[in-house]
Amino acid sequence: MSTAILEVQDVVRRFGGLRAVDEASFHVDEGSITALIGPNGAGKSTLFNVISGFLSAERGTVQFEGRRIDRAPAHRIAQRGLVRTFQVPRALTRMSVLDNVLLAATRHPGERLNELVLHPGRARSRERRARERAAELLALFRLDTHAGEYAGVLSGGQRKLLDFARVLMAEPRLVLLDEPMAGVNPALGRQLVEHVLRLRTETGMTFLFVEHDLDIVMEASDRVIVMNEGHVIATGTPAEIRGDQRVVDAYLGTARAT
Amino acid sequence: MSTIASFGFWSFVGIVAGIYTLFALGVQVQFGYAGLLNFGQVAFMGIGAYTMAILVVKEDLNMWLAAGCGIVLAILAALLLGLPTLRLRADYFAITTIAFSEILRYVATNEDRLTGGSQGTINLAGIGQASQYDGAWQSFLGKVERNLHVGSDAAMLILVWTVALLAVAAVTLLMRTPWGRVLKSIREDEDAATSLGKNVFLYKLQALALGAALGALAGVFYAWQFSFFSPDDFAPLITFFAWMIVILGGLGRAWTVPVGAVVFGVIFAGTRFFDFPPFSLLDSTERAYVRLIVIGLVIIGLMLFRPQGIFGSRKEMVLE
Amino acid sequence: MFMQLLANGLVTGSVIALAAAGVSIVYGILRLVNFAYGDYMTFGAFTAVYFNVTLELPIVIATLLAMLATALLSVAFELVLWRPLRARNAGFMSLFLVSVGLALVLRHVIYLVAGPQSRTYTVDPYKVYVIGSARLSGAQGIAIVVAAVGIVLVGILIARTGVGRMMRALADDLPLAAVAGVRTSRVILAAWIVSGLLAGLAGVLAGLVQTSFDPQLGFTLLLPIFAAVILGGIGNVYGALVGGLTLGLVMELSTWPELHGGVDPTYKPVVAFGALILVLLLRPQGLFGRARVV
Repeated sequence: MSTAILEVQDVVRRFGGLRAVDEASFHVDEGSITALIGPNGAGKSTLFNVISGFLSAERGTVQFEGRRIDRAPAHRIAQRGLVRTFQVPRALTRMSVLDNVLLAATRHPGERLNELVLHPGRARSRERRARERAAELLALFRLDTHAGEYAGVLSGGQRKLLDFARVLMAEPRLVLLDEPMAGVNPALGRQLVEHVLRLRTETGMTFLFVEHDLDIVMEASDRVIVMNEGHVIATGTPAEIRGDQRVVDAYLGTARAT
Repeated sequence: MSTIASFGFWSFVGIVAGIYTLFALGVQVQFGYAGLLNFGQVAFMGIGAYTMAILVVKEDLNMWLAAGCGIVLAILAALLLGLPTLRLRADYFAITTIAFSEILRYVATNEDRLTGGSQGTINLAGIGQASQYDGAWQSFLGKVERNLHVGSDAAMLILVWTVALLAVAAVTLLMRTPWGRVLKSIREDEDAATSLGKNVFLYKLQALALGAALGALAGVFYAWQFSFFSPDDFAPLITFFAWMIVILGGLGRAWTVPVGAVVFGVIFAGTRFFDFPPFSLLDSTERAYVRLIVIGLVIIGLMLFRPQGIFGSRKEMVLE
Repeated sequence: MFMQLLANGLVTGSVIALAAAGVSIVYGILRLVNFAYGDYMTFGAFTAVYFNVTLELPIVIATLLAMLATALLSVAFELVLWRPLRARNAGFMSLFLVSVGLALVLRHVIYLVAGPQSRTYTVDPYKVYVIGSARLSGAQGIAIVVAAVGIVLVGILIARTGVGRMMRALADDLPLAAVAGVRTSRVILAAWIVSGLLAGLAGVLAGLVQTSFDPQLGFTLLLPIFAAVILGGIGNVYGALVGGLTLGLVMELSTWPELHGGVDPTYKPVVAFGALILVLLLRPQGLFGRARVV
């Protein structure tokens, strides 16, 4: 029996009078690959922002590994092991590819002024380990030849890989992928899916992703959560969802708000 | 009247360039590296200068200690300013920083008993009384002159530039550390940095404080160089000079600041010597206006034709 | 005393409000914080001096001519500076810095041409309006009335005219408006014209209210003007108007002796800044601004 690594309960978030997220509730099983789907405007991105702490929830709770995170600041949530990507990859263009990945290193004393001054040795050794790991990740995603270049010269697809490498560098336990396949060619998409599957198997990492490409969803996910008009209308395996009339209605726009 | 070849004049320009190096280095740390729009940097310069002068004249404190207090106070002021305002959007933050520096200037102008008022530090000890705050500095300078066998101008030049270059080196090294890496990432994309677990607010606060300390250090040297100052010496215009210097040199590279400062010094001082028409037709006040027009045109020209500054790379501009 | 301070506050506030509206109109569409705006105002004030004092034209004619001249200046800078910079995709930072440079240039050209001495308009110095316990000089009276008319006209322009509607559309979503077929360059030009007219008018009014002024006129008002713009929620013209009036009133009323002796009048700008910082702490988007979205 899988435990829930993420529990979202009755979350409400408005934007200018409109309830973008309207009492959404669901859970994500640990070690699963879960997809969050729904027509445009269903509230998926807003919910992502709320879960990762970039927006606050007006009502409801979000629990990660049993602890509430809905009142925590975004950087604290990331430190706890819940890391997200953005729809448009946020490559730090005027920094090197290597620096981009190194940035994601966790618990690095060299990033704190007092530690730099008082314990330079610790900072140095952590940096050494970070560089080793970064080199591994860059090699894994075949970005190592670009390590010293500005991230800005990378192509869109390479930036997606860089995003991914960066996320992995942070050694998260739950990864929120915001439309990972958007603007990605099928070959690259395939690569990403393989990486995700491998990571889940090897490390037990949990993935929650928002995606519009329903083929990928059906193929890669263990469980699917469907949103419409701010709340969750269905959850289940891909097969169950495919046959669910409510989901079809939502996508065709024939669903009425109940 | 100084001629264009006089050492005294150009060493003066050099000293001012050195002071501006420290001052603009603060802006480089805040904006070039961290992306903060601090347009109130001159406030920290004023805090450094005034704190030292007031503590020496009114509290009879050791001058070196007083200078240290000036720097510490500037750091505290930066924290006080940053805590409520760093969460604001960039343009609002910029305007509150100008407001901050103007508020301080107002206070310095009006609180006669504390700061000597609009007349400046001449008034610090009360009317008619001597109010020298740099006695200890003058004797230290004398020692340097004797040991190095140089005149007072040269001694000051050497001291200012030693400190300035040390500061530049220190900042360069600091920015190569993981801490510096986080700072740069904040300039690039705050949300990305946050999503990787970095407490953006804390880093911004630190950058603001570090820049303030450098500004205060510049203020202390300013006070030593001129032996006397008033609130009008710390007007927003000075901050804009620092910005011009940083952009002139190129953002995000500490070592370009001294170059920018020297170029600025030359522009600023060199216009004194335009003894040909149409400048020869102007008197000295009018030349002062021309100087500022030139500075303004340089800023505009830089942004139009070479926004990356002398040493910045075109590539970086394109990637922005 | 209170009535007098209230009247003074309305005078100061209306001038700031007018100027803030001018800043807001441009900011709303171009996201440009025009640091040279104060000097546009000074330009207007000094041009009016030329017409009113040197050419001995009546103050009203001089003001209208000054407004026109400032509008022309505004358009000239748009064509020569702002448009080329936008074409190069200059970021908000570059534009802000250029406006800082422009402010320096404009102000000191005025210093060079007109000299640093204080100027006064030729208006009747003895006319006094008495309303209740408040006394207003002729100039102050004119300032309130003209500013009020100006504010109403701006309000009508934004709300009811085609041009105003288009400005609001651009302020809302510039790329969308462009795609929808709005001739953005024309609307932008219109915005600069209105901004320039307001700057000229506000400059002259400020000069009238202060009685005598030098080329620092606009720059010293710039921060309270920006404060008003931010207070009202940046880009929001109505907000800027309310922000300006509010700040003017706050500044003057803060000196009311009933308030624990009142603030020292020389600290009035500090009160304005303090009010701004306070509002921003409580409501970071300003009084009427919209909350930020990630």
